[in-house]
Amino acid sequence: MKIKIALAKGRVAKKAIALLTDIGYLFPDYSEDSRKLIFTDTTEAIEFFLVKSPDVGTYVEKGAADIGIVGRDVLMEHPAKVYELLNLNIGQCRMCVAGYADTRIQFNKKLTVGTKYPNIAKQYFNSIDQPVDLIMINGSVELAPILGLSDCIVDIVESGSTLRENGLVVLNTICDISSRLIVNQVSLKTKSAYIDPIIHRFEAMAL
Amino acid sequence: MLTSYTIEGFENIQYQGFKALSDIEKKLNHLFRLYGYHQVATPTFEAYDLYAGEDAIPSDDLFKLVNHQGKVLALKPDATMPVARMAAINHHNPEEIIKFFYLTNLYRNFSSPDIVKKEITQMGVEFFGDERPECDGEIIALAIESLFCNGITDVQIDLGHVGFINYLLDELDITPEDRAMLFKLIDNKNIGDIHDFLSRRNFDPKISGIIAQLPMLYGDPVTVFKKMDALCVNRRMEAVVRDLKAVYHHLDIIGMARYITFDLGFTSAMNYYSGMIFKAYVGNWGAPVIDGGRYDTLSAKFGIDRPACGFAIDILELMDYMEQHDLLNHQVSPHTVILYRPGDKCQAFHLCRGLRSDGTITEMFRVDDTPEALIPQLMNQALYRPSRFFLIDGGSLYKWQDSRFIPILDIDGQKGDA
Repeated sequence: MKIKIALAKGRVAKKAIALLTDIGYLFPDYSEDSRKLIFTDTTEAIEFFLVKSPDVGTYVEKGAADIGIVGRDVLMEHPAKVYELLNLNIGQCRMCVAGYADTRIQFNKKLTVGTKYPNIAKQYFNSIDQPVDLIMINGSVELAPILGLSDCIVDIVESGSTLRENGLVVLNTICDISSRLIVNQVSLKTKSAYIDPIIHRFEAMAL
Repeated sequence: MLTSYTIEGFENIQYQGFKALSDIEKKLNHLFRLYGYHQVATPTFEAYDLYAGEDAIPSDDLFKLVNHQGKVLALKPDATMPVARMAAINHHNPEEIIKFFYLTNLYRNFSSPDIVKKEITQMGVEFFGDERPECDGEIIALAIESLFCNGITDVQIDLGHVGFINYLLDELDITPEDRAMLFKLIDNKNIGDIHDFLSRRNFDPKISGIIAQLPMLYGDPVTVFKKMDALCVNRRMEAVVRDLKAVYHHLDIIGMARYITFDLGFTSAMNYYSGMIFKAYVGNWGAPVIDGGRYDTLSAKFGIDRPACGFAIDILELMDYMEQHDLLNHQVSPHTVILYRPGDKCQAFHLCRGLRSDGTITEMFRVDDTPEALIPQLMNQALYRPSRFFLIDGGSLYKWQDSRFIPILDIDGQKGDA
């Protein structure tokens, strides 16, 4: 039985595939520009496919994939009923509130926040009792404060260079983000003979 | 637009589905009766106060309404509590053995991340008045049987106990918020975050070490028992292991042990569970189809202190699984359709009465002009596709075959003469 792994396209995928190689699963027919959709390792123990990051949780929850590798930011924004088994300690970054250095968060006034992560932003500002207007933005979030669309943004910050180049700074860190290994709740039980060894290999690398 | 009248989270059940559904219900009804359970029903509405105090179902998830006296009601969000209350009201002797089963619809915001189901159909059993492992064993075995009787063989019972985690956490000075947080992390088997969480608290390192092992405390019962023995830090945890061993031993003797795996790392959303809890999985289906467990303290809320154990089957979820695995009987029995001329009405009705008393599904239509035109028109309709057609014309019987009427003498031995 092959164990199916869903990987989040983009930032996480490269590191996840490198990690899979490190723990001994080789994918000779994988290359970044390959048109194939599913790749099987040389021992035929696992196969992986790439999907948009918010879909990883869905594939795993529904059992179309047994295992998924996806950033914690995505799991927080799009919760799925899965086991969030391991912190893989790859793709590390922070979920931050960013804006101009002189932006004051005034608790008596509504703050306009531009973000790709409305759920995370809402939860965070609720938890500090800050009234906000959320503006959903799908990309280049840094533009929002520059063009005056919002007072600040909520986004993931890796090195901070994009912020710096645009004259913005981190105002507050909401939480640390790294990639997680998630597992279908039924597969973990019913396919444990196949899944356990894979998890143990990941575990040995992550710790 | 028709769609604007559709409410999200509620479903119609088509006639084919309804037949499949009632087949499942009939089989379960028969099974539960064979085990000595009596069917009961409780009202669709419940006093909102009954659920307001329960943190199991957030009050935002309830459907609330106000009755003519200004009392706040809720659409029944759960079946066990009303049945427990009914048992308490009608059976005052706490020693009494009461075995009930029910079939009911439940209403609440069953929010899973991407599903917004608001109405589900549950069929379940409740066994009051027995706290011995044999009672737990009967409930678990009955859960397995109820899947077997619907043709499902790929069954797995995930067995746990709410006490193991709780009695472990009782060793710590822990806030209710932290306890809830830990439950959530353990339930998600979120080992990474559990380590983070524990490292930020000043808990006894020995207890923290055991907490960190809870998510992985699952699998083959014999292995899990060994691990559990080593993790007990107090009498109550030891008692949990003893209880589970007794239940497992019982299931082993009755030949059900092969369907059982353990997971001491799952908790239940319903906080009335007080002991053994379990879920049933079928095949690789992503959601459990059965949920159950022991709730020895719930009845005391209604004035009668009696132990109890039960389970509920999510019938529509089960039906979805059976649908995907071709286990449903969608076969619609063919109808017998009799067309008659106005002058043959009396004979036609006699004929139909005869056929129906033989158990044949029979329908009749009057034809004024050409029956040859009416039949193809009916045959194209979804509900009449598997039908056979007859005509009574001037006292004679005809059968529709190969696109024409062939004279016949009777239909299944029925002639329709007075």
